[in-house]
Amino acid sequence: MGLTEWIVNRADDVIISMSPYDVLNLPYDIGVKVWESLGGLIAWLINLIVPGNWLSEALISNEVTNGVAMIVMVLVIFIIGFLTNLTMIWEERKVLGRMMDRRGTKICLLGWGQCLGDGLKTFMKENVTPKAIDNKIYWWGVSLIIGTSVLIACMVPLSPRWFIVNYEAGLLLIFAFFALAPFLILCAGWSQNNKYALMGGFRAAELMISYEIPMLLLFAACVLMTGSYNIGDIIAYQQENIWLVVPQIIGFFVCIVCAIAESERIPFDLAEAEAELVEGWQTEYAGMKWGLIMLGDYFRGFVACALVVIMYLGGWSLPFVNQFDWYWMYFPEIVMTLKICLVFFVFIWARGALPRVRTDQILNIGWKVLMPLAMLNLVITILLKVGGVF
Amino acid sequence: MAMEYLDKYPKKFRGTGVIKPFAATFKLMVKTVLPGRRSVCIMYPYEKEWVPDNYRGRPGLRFDRCVGCGICVRACPTTCIELVEVDDGQGNMVKKPQVNIGRCMMCGYCAEYCPVDAMTTTTDYELAEFTRQGMIYDPRRLNFDYTTDMMEVHIEEHLMSNLEKGITDQPTAFFNTDRPVLNGDKCISCSKCAKVCPVNAIEMVVVGQNDKGKDIKHPKIDDKACISCSNCIIDCPKDALKMNEVL
Amino acid sequence: MDGKMKQDKMWVTMGPQHPFSHGLWTLRVEVDGEIITDAEPEVGYLHRGWEKECEQRDYQKIIPMADRLCYSASMTWSHLFCKVAEEALDIEVPERAQYLRVVADEICRLQSHLMWLAAVGTDVGNLTIFLWALREREFMLDLNVRLCGQRLTTNYPRIGGVRNDMPYYFERDCLRGIERFEKALWDILQLTDESSIFVGRMKGLGYITRKDVANLGITGPAMRGCGVDYDVRRDDPYDAYGELDFEVPVLKEGDAYSRYMIRIEEMFQSCKIIKQAMKKLESIPKTAPYRLKVPKCIPEGTHVAKMEDPRGESLMYLISDGTDQPYRLKVRSPVFVNVSASKHMVKGVRIADIPAIMAMIDMCLGETDR
Repeated sequence: MGLTEWIVNRADDVIISMSPYDVLNLPYDIGVKVWESLGGLIAWLINLIVPGNWLSEALISNEVTNGVAMIVMVLVIFIIGFLTNLTMIWEERKVLGRMMDRRGTKICLLGWGQCLGDGLKTFMKENVTPKAIDNKIYWWGVSLIIGTSVLIACMVPLSPRWFIVNYEAGLLLIFAFFALAPFLILCAGWSQNNKYALMGGFRAAELMISYEIPMLLLFAACVLMTGSYNIGDIIAYQQENIWLVVPQIIGFFVCIVCAIAESERIPFDLAEAEAELVEGWQTEYAGMKWGLIMLGDYFRGFVACALVVIMYLGGWSLPFVNQFDWYWMYFPEIVMTLKICLVFFVFIWARGALPRVRTDQILNIGWKVLMPLAMLNLVITILLKVGGVF
Repeated sequence: MAMEYLDKYPKKFRGTGVIKPFAATFKLMVKTVLPGRRSVCIMYPYEKEWVPDNYRGRPGLRFDRCVGCGICVRACPTTCIELVEVDDGQGNMVKKPQVNIGRCMMCGYCAEYCPVDAMTTTTDYELAEFTRQGMIYDPRRLNFDYTTDMMEVHIEEHLMSNLEKGITDQPTAFFNTDRPVLNGDKCISCSKCAKVCPVNAIEMVVVGQNDKGKDIKHPKIDDKACISCSNCIIDCPKDALKMNEVL
Repeated sequence: MDGKMKQDKMWVTMGPQHPFSHGLWTLRVEVDGEIITDAEPEVGYLHRGWEKECEQRDYQKIIPMADRLCYSASMTWSHLFCKVAEEALDIEVPERAQYLRVVADEICRLQSHLMWLAAVGTDVGNLTIFLWALREREFMLDLNVRLCGQRLTTNYPRIGGVRNDMPYYFERDCLRGIERFEKALWDILQLTDESSIFVGRMKGLGYITRKDVANLGITGPAMRGCGVDYDVRRDDPYDAYGELDFEVPVLKEGDAYSRYMIRIEEMFQSCKIIKQAMKKLESIPKTAPYRLKVPKCIPEGTHVAKMEDPRGESLMYLISDGTDQPYRLKVRSPVFVNVSASKHMVKGVRIADIPAIMAMIDMCLGETDR
């Protein structure tokens, strides 16, 4: 379906027979329903005053409905992603608090409101920009880091009916955008004219060469097993056969380590090691810039968790449950979100248990431990595939 | 050798992986989530830690007991106490200590050195104010309603001479033993010491007559009433009085 | 340009407001990439003229001021001052006071070492160690409150004794607390010693040799960590330490991890000392004297007293002129001397190791700059 066809045709009317659900794309359908009621009401009111005018006709035409529905769809997907993100921040606060024998924040809705308060606080802060910076890269670097983070977070489908575009190479694309950030961090670190930031940037690059290759090997194993780059297909395969965590248990653990490194969280947050480099590459980013970087970090954490869920934990599927038989009470979006939160719990756990590793240690771990394990995982996968077990 | 830790961890055994930290944190998380053991956090403004009676919070004053001797003023390391004149409720102006809490370091010396146990420590530690003026506690405001015996800090010193004799059950304090002594040659009979004495322990007695036929008056110190505040020594214009320290 | 990049070394200033510097001090390091080639500590940001201020104070008023020298080792500092004054007056404090001082000293050592462990936690990037250690420290502070009346600035020792005897049930609370603490410390060690990442951050870094120790005058755990068997408590016993049975941990490696181990072992030994001292206190009657009456003025002369601070050997030098105020009071701070070794420790390591190595000095700027 091209973009023009989307706009001209009511997508759900056309494809409804192809989808197991009664809608093709739930966010889009929400947009359509919203506009049908809201725009229809406006059109009807205008028609009451001036009967038979062109404006009412235009408001309820397919083009306008589709256009508005697309905007609402994007908004809904972003807002749900954003709320999931806030929930994950809340989860981190509470779980980490319990691990440290604290309570975590208790502001508003069991502490959930603290995220909003923090956002408001960083928003109110003065926007300090240092003098001798490379202006273009300083701004573009941070914008692109935040932008790509939010982009990949929105690209993660939460269910067969919850996506923006169902790419054939969806997983590959997410990986590609995900790996873009260290480069931008290096640029941003360099542009700040600050020694700490520069070192943080270099560390991000150093970190990347240690985890990115095992991660891609795991990705290769996953794709080899399922035979597709498409996220929906990967999950469908897992639902039909077996969750990949069973045959690729080594890969699962390696993937979690790599995912923590990829989202630059403790114990792998070398680029912003606050004990030695004040705030690492974010040192000179003050106020809401920093707040957005923080939010972007959590978006990346969300995506890293989602990748683990998609590749190993069967995405939105549940074992022994056929989602299409139970469509009226089975919400794959919620299953997926809960699984993401569960994987994020492991991330938090690692943060609570481990201290930060050093640059040479992460290189050692990456090349001497993760890399052979990922290779082993690949070999096992190939053997299983050749042997015809799956 | 009885090393507890170094014996348990021989040098080769260090750093056995990352399983145990994960297990330990998870254990604590489960413990704190399940009922029966709450996390150690105290929800401060709503619940407070218990503080024992001997806690050294802000100084407190028992207005009626205070004699206004000024020992606390001189004992204070940060000079946050000063004597001010206040109405004692019967129309008389009396001198009582006023404390600038903003400067107070909560050392408890005022309570420790008070000979009449009027100054006490209190368990009051929430002392934030909106203004600096609000940090100044006048004698009435220094009152603390829940004063207990533990809050009056007593000095229980032993005289070294007593210990040499083998007496170990007679604790005393400087205000029981130290008394001013007079050097009669220097005294000019001004009777200033009698005026500044807060407990009226000094009485001017006639000891003779000078060449012009006027009475020579020397201070006579009532040992029982004296609290060793050394006001007389400080105010003596001719340094005729000296504190006799009993050791 | 001849097409070659000129590689220059870079000076990085860490501090005075830097997350790793616990307090106001600066470590300027010269780095070649991430490898440190030279370092230079700068202290003095917190100079408050403490020694000069003491010259206008009565002797008894200096005791609470000595508490403020170091926030986490307040008891040992005020104890040291009392000790130098007692040296000058040539008196020996009563036995009960000696044991009470030992108990307070060791509680102070425990809470100081726990504060250090907490700081190590933040420096290597794990807040769990920080909070677990602070949780245990809170119990030590509670014991402080029970015994002395304040959490940090104890103001407990007096010239010629201690401020007050043990309050009711302190013995029970103290023994229970110490037993509980020993178990809890093993829990904390699960996060540190059982974690290969933590050990990897510490082991084989920041070496100093016995020669450096002799040349620089390093004392405390840093000295014992490289094989010098010396502890003032054992080798020049003051107060009741001579009658107590405890071990002085010594290790030969001389790296950051050995300093860490020395401190952990010292915590266990402190527990041992407290238990013994409590037992001894039981045998001393409750009515026994614990405080002597001392004269206000100290006779003319110069006097020295030294003590084992949690951070090293602390020393006070007093010149009295016969009045009730000292003529001169000089403080020898262990950290001030130990921090001069930072140059030797950090040479050749990475920037990421600086917090881990410097945490082993256990900086306290209050006493360093005084």
